[in-house]
Amino acid sequence: MEGAVSASLRREAEATRARWRGTVAVVVVGTLLAACGTRESEGRSPAADSAKGDVSSSTASSAENVTGARAAGDAKWGVRSDGEWTMPARDYANTRYSPLDEINTGNASRLRVAWTFSDGEPHGHEGSPLVAGNTMYVVTPFPNTAYALDLTKPGAPIKWKYDPNPSPIAVGKACCDVVIRGWTLADGKLIYNTLDDHTVAVDTATGKEVWRTQTADVENGTTTTMAPLVVKNLVYVGNSGGEMGVQGQLTALDLKTGKIVWRAYSTGPDSMVRIDSNFHPYYKWMQGKNLGATTWPADAWKHGAGSVWGWISYDPDLDYIYYGTSNTGPWNGAQRPGLNLWTSGVFARKADDGMARWAYVFTPHNEWDYDGVNENILVDQPINGQMRKVMVQFNRNGFAYTIDRQTGQVYVAKPFGHENWASGIDTTTMMPIVNDQKRTEPPGRWVNDICPADIGVKDEQPAAFSPRTGLFYVPVENICMNYKGREVSYIAGTPYWGADMTRHAGPGGNYGEFIAWDAGTGRKMWSVPERFLVYSGVLVTGGDLAFYGTADGWFRAVDARTGKVLWSEKLGSGIISAPMTYRAPDGHQYVAVMTGIGGGAMTIKALPGFPARGSTMYVFALDGVSKPVPETPQQGLQSKTSSDAGNKNKGKH
Amino acid sequence: MSCSRVLVAAAFLAMVSCKGEPELVRGGATGEVTLPSKGDLSQIPLGDFAGGTPNLVATTIANPYANSAAATKEGEQLFQQMNCADCHGYDAKGGMGPDLTDAFWRYGGSPAEIYKSIYEGRPKGMPAWGASLPPQQIWKIVSYVQSLGGAFPPRLANAGRQGNLGGLDSVNLVSMKGVQDEH
Repeated sequence: MEGAVSASLRREAEATRARWRGTVAVVVVGTLLAACGTRESEGRSPAADSAKGDVSSSTASSAENVTGARAAGDAKWGVRSDGEWTMPARDYANTRYSPLDEINTGNASRLRVAWTFSDGEPHGHEGSPLVAGNTMYVVTPFPNTAYALDLTKPGAPIKWKYDPNPSPIAVGKACCDVVIRGWTLADGKLIYNTLDDHTVAVDTATGKEVWRTQTADVENGTTTTMAPLVVKNLVYVGNSGGEMGVQGQLTALDLKTGKIVWRAYSTGPDSMVRIDSNFHPYYKWMQGKNLGATTWPADAWKHGAGSVWGWISYDPDLDYIYYGTSNTGPWNGAQRPGLNLWTSGVFARKADDGMARWAYVFTPHNEWDYDGVNENILVDQPINGQMRKVMVQFNRNGFAYTIDRQTGQVYVAKPFGHENWASGIDTTTMMPIVNDQKRTEPPGRWVNDICPADIGVKDEQPAAFSPRTGLFYVPVENICMNYKGREVSYIAGTPYWGADMTRHAGPGGNYGEFIAWDAGTGRKMWSVPERFLVYSGVLVTGGDLAFYGTADGWFRAVDARTGKVLWSEKLGSGIISAPMTYRAPDGHQYVAVMTGIGGGAMTIKALPGFPARGSTMYVFALDGVSKPVPETPQQGLQSKTSSDAGNKNKGKH
Repeated sequence: MSCSRVLVAAAFLAMVSCKGEPELVRGGATGEVTLPSKGDLSQIPLGDFAGGTPNLVATTIANPYANSAAATKEGEQLFQQMNCADCHGYDAKGGMGPDLTDAFWRYGGSPAEIYKSIYEGRPKGMPAWGASLPPQQIWKIVSYVQSLGGAFPPRLANAGRQGNLGGLDSVNLVSMKGVQDEH
């Protein structure tokens, strides 16, 4: 299978190179503009590059100087140093870009395992390890045990372990495996959410709990799986339970004490949604009073979902946070006529008080489970020749949106994979033009071949952006569904779901694809097809490598400019987490990725070759040369043991 | 028996059922059945037995609706109406909750054990339905679950507990599977 993929990759790469000959100059100019714009107010002294690791001469290109520009601006975007990774997406902008370039396009083929760590939990592993200083922090899926690993010692031994003891009830309330999507470091604390709706803060030095706050009631069907984000003195926490009739919410906790400061709901009257006279959605159909309640049948918004289980971004200049809201509940749309605001959309809120500034709904009256929770990546991007502050979201519904992050105006909305539920997005209203053949109402009948399936052209697994190439690197799912809506009653603690379905691969028969995307024009630049889902997040580096994994466990490094696969290794289980990179105390760059199939990728578990569960993190370095010398038993003891074994064998024979 | 005498008898049975005696239930297409007593059911443990001789009698309690197609049909409707299907799947092959068609039973696969799992709820998110569904409706849901083929026949409850049913062709059991998706 690997060989076949490589062959098609080569063809793709050749085609890509041909395309690039015409476009590369434009992209480099755009990249320089984007980088300068994003980091505008910071200095760009070459001194910022001094912290870099070894640079291979093979990466030299006209765009290389952009790295320095970015590194200098990173403090404002929440990055402490180029070698660290202290929040889920590394920076507030959610780029998942690291400037490290010791590992690069010229030497990626020399990547070897340096060390591994198994946490033993046989569930989906969706989070990325974090590194601050000399320590790595990982948190397991339920029961959400936290480990601090000492990177100064051979094999990175456990420094401390913290067990929050979440309630097992949560296991049966989680729709899609008992995952955790990330954790964050701030103020000397490791902060994360347990599946049973507690947010915990753990002292990074001692592993002792500093505070613990309950944000919801698990017995009503609410779970918490998302990665919190810390901005200034607030910790933002959202809920899960779009299939359980919850009301979506974002809660802000005090970083020092854990006390709840405010809460903004995704549905309901304006007072609950934290909407006042400063709220200005760009499009008319979202303007008016109390639309979070009046676009629903009476009281249906109370169980209308719009949960907040994805990613949060922050723009330090506008002082806005951005996050998406989940599918509408129940899935059976016939039970909730109306636009069902503000589910399946995105909010921009003032960071300090959470008051909404604008919103946009991607999939009004969502009939297909197309959540709006995917990451919003903040970049400055030329659109039709004019520089714009935008957020880019690769939505479950199959469209990639490039949206003005100050006003909510949509500049670009183009399909980035196979979809057939909408023929496009109306350029005036920016509402989807729904294909009536793919409507799931009325319920009680099968509607065949709706693309994408419920899990979308892309699910929560996050994309990455490189300021060096100006491109987005996106995991893509090529999956469709046959769907039957079902009448459903709300019973607290049970699913409020209302759908029956089967899923199948989209055109071509390959379930996955890894693509590069130009968000200024809405164009796919190149693509790597994969037989299994590409359900991992993405890392892109200053070495111009984009890393991703497949549901069957292939971990790959591709040339970020051409899409050529430079290195692949088959890991122990499927990959549904986002890889990350860091510089260790030994001065060398490492790349880490958690394996452990689960989550939404289980939708294709019947596919032959689908891997078993796993729980191992793999950490790679060039040649394994930076692999620490292990502490071995004394030489004498070792040789004695082996010779004893040899004697026994001789005796037997 | 005259109508009034039936009512008196039914009222009497309803009263004695509070004391843990079998309960007589009359009902439409599913006919008249006697439900197992709460007292007997209470003797069935969640796990195995420590010390002493196990009380295997209670575990082998039969579902009074086991042979009723009408009850099985009602059970299937309840399975969907009470949102069981959204967790366990409309085909009952698992989703958020475990597969109910295979022969892997975390809390026992005999009818009485399945009844107790529904009635009491289970620690990993299975709600307790004893407060909101009357016993005869729970037995009808058990009847539907039995119709899926993976439940243990009551007389083989102990063999099922010991993992001794895999090779028996006298029972309608699918292969032992489903462990991988165990939470």
